[in-house]
Amino acid sequence: MLEAVDLSKSYGSHEALKNLNLEVTAGEVYCLLGQNGAGKTTTINLFLGLADPTGGKALINGKEVKMGADTNQLIAYIPEVVQLYGNMDGIENLNFFSRLSGYTHSKEDLVRLLEKAGLKKEDHDKKLFSYSKGMRQKVGIAIALSKDAKAIFMDEPTSGLDPKATDEFTSICKELVAEDKCIFMATHDIFNAVNVGTRIGIMNEGKLVHTTESKSISANELQQLYLKTI
Amino acid sequence: MRRNILLIIARHFWETVFKTKSIYLLIAILGLLLIYSVYSGMKYYDQNHFRADHQEMARQSWENNPDKHPHRMAHFGTFAFRTKHPLSQFDFGIESFTGNAVFLEAHKQNTINFSEASFSTGLLRFGELSMAIILQTILPLIIFFVGYGAVVSDRENGTLKLLLTQGAKWKEILFGRSIGLTGIAFLLCLPFLIVTLLLLIGDHHSSGDVWVRFGLISMAYLLFALVLSFLTIFVSTGSKSSKNALVKLLGLWLLMTVLLPRSSQALGSYFYPTPSKIEFRSKIEAEVIQYGDSHNPNDPHYQSLRDSVLEVHQVDDVTKLPFNYGGFVMSIGEEVSAKIYNKHHNQLLNQYRDQNQLNRWLAIFNPYLAIKNLSMALCGTGFESYVDFQQQAEIYRYQLAQKMNRLQIERISPTRVSGSEGKVHVVSREEWKSFPDFEHGYLSIGTSLNNEMISSFSIILWTFLAIGLISRQSKRAKAI
Repeated sequence: MLEAVDLSKSYGSHEALKNLNLEVTAGEVYCLLGQNGAGKTTTINLFLGLADPTGGKALINGKEVKMGADTNQLIAYIPEVVQLYGNMDGIENLNFFSRLSGYTHSKEDLVRLLEKAGLKKEDHDKKLFSYSKGMRQKVGIAIALSKDAKAIFMDEPTSGLDPKATDEFTSICKELVAEDKCIFMATHDIFNAVNVGTRIGIMNEGKLVHTTESKSISANELQQLYLKTI
Repeated sequence: MRRNILLIIARHFWETVFKTKSIYLLIAILGLLLIYSVYSGMKYYDQNHFRADHQEMARQSWENNPDKHPHRMAHFGTFAFRTKHPLSQFDFGIESFTGNAVFLEAHKQNTINFSEASFSTGLLRFGELSMAIILQTILPLIIFFVGYGAVVSDRENGTLKLLLTQGAKWKEILFGRSIGLTGIAFLLCLPFLIVTLLLLIGDHHSSGDVWVRFGLISMAYLLFALVLSFLTIFVSTGSKSSKNALVKLLGLWLLMTVLLPRSSQALGSYFYPTPSKIEFRSKIEAEVIQYGDSHNPNDPHYQSLRDSVLEVHQVDDVTKLPFNYGGFVMSIGEEVSAKIYNKHHNQLLNQYRDQNQLNRWLAIFNPYLAIKNLSMALCGTGFESYVDFQQQAEIYRYQLAQKMNRLQIERISPTRVSGSEGKVHVVSREEWKSFPDFEHGYLSIGTSLNNEMISSFSIILWTFLAIGLISRQSKRAKAI
């Protein structure tokens, strides 16, 4: 589903990403751990087609990602802080973003998508500025669902979420994976990575330095490995 | 660029703007300004009645003169009143400062008097608010305020990345937002144009020419709004933060409406200096005196003229001439003084025109100057309209003076050249009536447009430039 082949990105003399090679298949959650500036967000940006690599290539379903390429149809993105448009309600925001990707859903479909993303019906008509971070994130997930994205990129999705919201988020991720979707997540949350991830990669200074199966490692072991690596 | 996505983005921008309370506050303020400016415009235009009444009174006063010596009538004189163009309700232009009435008499080119400014406190400089001024200066501020965060806010909060990953292209986002903002700008312009249209419909002076002018003005202001909207999106896209975008746009506003116009005036005066009113008058007077004084019987120039006339008619005294010599001398004097005045006046006008031309060329760099100049010209309230009135008044004055001189030459007995005429040296009052009244005509639309060719070109150029800038930026813009 997702493939990085010697993927590199430099900003001037600074090498943000150095020869990244990885593959993520459908039904997998790949969690990328690393300090700030390790190259996690750069990797996501390259897969999203928001920047062109300076070396190598990023592939989605075998198609090379280029800035403004059609690969956007296959993917969705949930930023660290899902702001969207505060003076519009959940339904209106979802309707706008799904129409942008070429889907026109009925009101019932929009309600169903928000409910599937875990947003309670009574909140659908409230303006987004009254939403918590977790509720906004659910709208973000509904947007991903609305275009039937095959791969979902998430940047620090659990940062700032309370334990209940994190738990809800984990459940939703598991549901998505069960539908054969692939999730690529950049995170600092070691415990959530072990909990939700299929595989975990650790990045340091633009290099992928360690990859492990989440089922073969405990949160404490991962934390030790992470601290040793960085 | 997909049309449906473009419309979705434009409509969405429109909806988000109208879901904020601040836009309604701005609309309310604009509404109040509209009411005030419409009231001012109507009151301003209503002076036409006052002027028509005074023109009528001046005419009656002229016609009610009894049988008189024509030269006394030439000095009795009359008034020429400038008629306001129906579109002056929309744009007052420079009329408040130029005056609207001139006293017409023989030998003397009086200045145009009774400007609004001369009958107001200095506050007129700050308080005059026409619909055009609101659209030229307040509307840009509102457009900048509504649109400064249009793209940069989305970048700041990460929504821009979401828009792009949802499949929207940069071109669609930028053009969509630009169209959305332009739509809002048009909506804000519309009440001003509709009110102007209603005022024109209600005015019986509105002819076909007025409708063409109104159409052109509407088009020019809508293009101006489009240019401002596209520039706002351009600045918003190129800025690092919303605050940065707002500061840049406010700077642009100051540059457009204050700094460049003031600079162009200062540069114009520097490169093309004009004499003071006293200097101008003194020069004319000196040249006329140098030529000769037609009122002075001992003036050498007119003495030689008299000698040559006597020689041609083979008589030894002007009283023996077959016509009134006094009238003849006045006619020659009038011709000479008018020629000298026109020469100096044209020189002065050319200096002003050079100043204005500099201002027009600067309009290439400043759409505000372009719309300001074009709007005044089309509303008949610009400099050239004022000059045209001056010229019409001068032509009328000259014709009136020469008509009186002709009457003196032909109808007044040559036996007496000065002193009290008595009943013998008068012409019938019917002659006063036969001389047509002054009627102020407006500059033709073709002349107005021709005068503002550069401003018209500038508006069109800026329209293409603004669209081109957005198009170019959509190829270079980055989300991260």
